[in-house]
Amino acid sequence: MNSTLRQGRRRPAAKVPLGLMIVGAVFALGFLAVNAAIGYVVIDGRLDGQWYDIRDLGIAVEELKVQLDAINDDQPSFLDDIVGQHWMSYAVGALLGAIGILSFIGGALLALIWIERRLIGRMQIRRGPNRVGPYGLLQPVADAVKLIQKEVLMPDGADRILFLLPPAIIFVPMMAAWGPVPWAPQMAYLDINVGVLYLIAVSSLTTLAVFLAGWASNNHYALLGSMRTVAMMISYEIPLSIALLSVVLITGSMQLSEIVQWQADHNLWLAALLPIAMLTYFFSSTAELNRTPNDIAEAESEIVAGFHTEYSGMKFGLFYAVELGNALLVATLVATFFLGGWSLFGLEEWIPGYLILFAKLSAAYFVLVWLRGTLPRFRLDQLMRFAWQYLIPLSLFNLIIVAVEASLLARWDAPGLVSLGLFTIVNWGAAYILFRDWARRIGYQPDAGGPRRAELTQQVGGIEAAHRMGTAT
Amino acid sequence: MIPELYGRVGVLVLFGIVFPAIPLIASYAFYMLKLRPENPDPVKSATYECGVEAEGNAWGQFNARYYLFALGFVIFDVEVVFLYPWAVEHLSLNTDALFKAGIFVGVLAFGLAYAWRRRALDWR
Repeated sequence: MNSTLRQGRRRPAAKVPLGLMIVGAVFALGFLAVNAAIGYVVIDGRLDGQWYDIRDLGIAVEELKVQLDAINDDQPSFLDDIVGQHWMSYAVGALLGAIGILSFIGGALLALIWIERRLIGRMQIRRGPNRVGPYGLLQPVADAVKLIQKEVLMPDGADRILFLLPPAIIFVPMMAAWGPVPWAPQMAYLDINVGVLYLIAVSSLTTLAVFLAGWASNNHYALLGSMRTVAMMISYEIPLSIALLSVVLITGSMQLSEIVQWQADHNLWLAALLPIAMLTYFFSSTAELNRTPNDIAEAESEIVAGFHTEYSGMKFGLFYAVELGNALLVATLVATFFLGGWSLFGLEEWIPGYLILFAKLSAAYFVLVWLRGTLPRFRLDQLMRFAWQYLIPLSLFNLIIVAVEASLLARWDAPGLVSLGLFTIVNWGAAYILFRDWARRIGYQPDAGGPRRAELTQQVGGIEAAHRMGTAT
Repeated sequence: MIPELYGRVGVLVLFGIVFPAIPLIASYAFYMLKLRPENPDPVKSATYECGVEAEGNAWGQFNARYYLFALGFVIFDVEVVFLYPWAVEHLSLNTDALFKAGIFVGVLAFGLAYAWRRRALDWR
């Protein structure tokens, strides 16, 4: 079989067009020149303050605030009493931050659609979108234009007002949940001291919009889908909260910037210290996302499209955008809580924190796409069992272990390397034993000889073989 | 300082409403400019059930299994929220608090075991 595959004609590899190379070279040279100019000005000492410091945009915002406050002092206003501080700097700070977050989400959404479809394509031995624009990069734009142009249907039996609400309000919890994320040491939009509780509270509001969509459609499939979503979301909410509880126990703070600061101070990512909490959090939040391994809420083969069966055109587009935005949010939160956020063992002195965070969240997002590309869909009863009989008991065990460790950490006067190193080893041992033995306890029986590999994919040789056959386009 | 921060939540919520409104309004504007079709007919706007005519109304009674899980969720989530203040403060509390929290979690685990034993956690 292999020999027949190899005989196909070979397509030449795609070439980068000359124009693109020239543009890239010009851009790189310009970037270097700007950097050199900034470096010269900084070393020369012409800039006194920290305005030039792009490692942490929070510093620039602080500087802006001082200047705005000076203007505000000349013209006091009644608004100061309402806000409790200078209203001008307050309003400008809030607006700048919100616009920053919104533009990050908007840009990331456009890029992510392309990246995700290309990655999934590679994993399924095909090319993914490659027709619209160079490398198919304009595919998301084309999708958006198509969706805006499509007819918007309103089913006769639906509740007209409630039917229109969900696409509009489903964005709110996602946007609000981006607030507490610390992008750099002083760069957090909403640095509240109950950050973890705020996140749990806000992110569970999505359930309401989903249920509203399913209920208002007056469609059996939609109602089934939304009921499944609600059942799954509330089930996975519990292990998620308990996993974050152990993070709070170790760091002693619910403030996200403090949690990241703790990891930076101890040079230890919580993923290493709390493996059970990280895996529990990751599994539960992928379940809350409604994406492929856990997308029973919109399982195409069973209930058409679940809660958005009756939504067409741009309304469907909004549901899709929120799904991607939530996936990005989960990747960011995993990076923040467990992968050290903006810290990277001292390198954050040199590299801007938000770039480090972006690298980490991209890695976490890749794992999400990978899960989506490889795992088949679970059944509803499997998912519910996994939450209630596996994740919740495990996270309760983990909570007890971590509570004892945190108490020891507060009283034991040992160097961090000894105590935290010991706890790390203990936790990994506990994770191994608990994950394996609890699975067997509730009836999982591994196949003899381990899982079988996907033989066909290996024999054929992935996309390279498709290349050789000349069928890949 | 903290209460003022929640004004920023308001700004985020406002953006969260305005941002999805833009494409929806654009879609409506396309309709006004006759750039997108809008020809509803009885078949098109019937409830979609894979081509079969929809039988009855979806707003009826529903499976009671969901009720048990909702009940379990309410109990667990409320209790977990009670644990958060202890988690933040436990570094300054004495060992007593650890044992008391242990009892609290133990009662919670007992409830879970009871529900499990009564087969409330099986999706049947």
